Amino acid sequence: MTDLREPDSEPPVPGVERLPRAIEPARDLWPGIAPRLRGAARRGWMAAGALAAAVLALMMLTRRAPLGATRLEGRPRITRAGVTTDDSSSARLTLSIGQLDVEPETDLRLVALGPSQQRFALRRGTISARVNAPPRVFVVETPAAIATDLGCAYVLRVDSLGNGTLHVTLGQVELAGEHLVIVPAGYVAAIRSGRGPGTPVSVDAPPALVRALDALDAGGAGPALDTALRLARPGDARSLWNLIPRVAPADRGRVYDALARLAPPPALVTRAGVVGLDPGMLELWWNYLPWVGERR
Amino acid sequence: MTVDAHTLARARAGDEAAFQALYRAEVGRVFALCLRLTGSRPEAEERTQDVFVQAWRSLASFRGESALSTWLHRLTVNLVLTERRGRGRRERRLLAVESPETWETTGTGHESDAGQTVDLERAIGRLPDGAREVLVLHDIEGFTHEEIAGLCGIAAGTSKAQLFRARRLLREMLER
Repeated sequence: MTDLREPDSEPPVPGVERLPRAIEPARDLWPGIAPRLRGAARRGWMAAGALAAAVLALMMLTRRAPLGATRLEGRPRITRAGVTTDDSSSARLTLSIGQLDVEPETDLRLVALGPSQQRFALRRGTISARVNAPPRVFVVETPAAIATDLGCAYVLRVDSLGNGTLHVTLGQVELAGEHLVIVPAGYVAAIRSGRGPGTPVSVDAPPALVRALDALDAGGAGPALDTALRLARPGDARSLWNLIPRVAPADRGRVYDALARLAPPPALVTRAGVVGLDPGMLELWWNYLPWVGERR
Repeated sequence: MTVDAHTLARARAGDEAAFQALYRAEVGRVFALCLRLTGSRPEAEERTQDVFVQAWRSLASFRGESALSTWLHRLTVNLVLTERRGRGRRERRLLAVESPETWETTGTGHESDAGQTVDLERAIGRLPDGAREVLVLHDIEGFTHEEIAGLCGIAAGTSKAQLFRARRLLREMLER
């Protein structure tokens, strides 16, 4: 039977408070860790290769039109500055870190091509990216948001006004504008000029949930939030996670409760911490939420 | 030993050598926590390796709002408790009592206190699972009962009761 006496009646055992905070293991554990890193989602061995390949690509691109650019159909205009396609042409850029398909009616500009970052600006049109590089190396700017690759494949589409969508098919992408959202595989986020990234929604989310989240993005609250929390399924958990910092502080507890019902938080994540936007807890919970798409 | 910002940035970008430096800097604290929470040196070694593999996977999303050691600390507690919840208590007890030598090689850096420390560590390792977890988290790691309740999935009152029990058992073991 549990003893419910207060612990103060049993004082701390002398010496416990002086126990060392660090204890070195008797053997080196690194040999058991290193091979597992190479099989993990991030690929450390790629860093050196990516660096060398990026430098090589930079040398090639600064001398002449990108050697990595090939015509897929029609007559795309390929220059040092970027790629422009009309309604009947498309191109493929082969980068050191992946592949970028430039769809018809697209204007894509090269911003920077360095060892630590490969950065493009999508002025309008559609690109399909498949990136195999450390997170944050591949970045695409749009008029209303910046998509930063966290290890992924995605389709990014914007019109000349800056409105568009980001559909992630592998891994996850950070989308930053007026605020920041994380879009995982199997989710789509709207991009609205003047409003920035929308709350990501799973590709098979119920239409009523999509409308409710869109209303929240537009500044709606009460009924839209009620609807979103009521309709969200386990596969929509990452939508609710993205909502937490965006709803009013008074509503965060309700979002926490709804998300906890769909995907119980891991041990260290508390309601108070999440409502207080503790970044460590939010990040930890994110890592434990169910994936609806391919994680990588 | 701490990890400088440059090393951390390189590790976040996927530099394995930088991540190894991070491992060297933090392994002592991670292993100590794993050892005390599990009461088993082989299991602690295994969990320590799991923690660093998980950290490698998650490091890209570490935004630096909290200290790296705090982030790793949370990761460790969560991983160990989650793992142990998923296993049968019978198996855990076997692991916990299988290795009386678990603390024999613990180095404190203070030779005059070494014998007492080893006795204390060994006694903590022999506490029942729930009592040991609460004692480690409260008396050594400084968590509150409310935080422990959230971590362990128990009521704050149960955490207090477990702490009472742990301290009393520990005192009895040391007085034998």
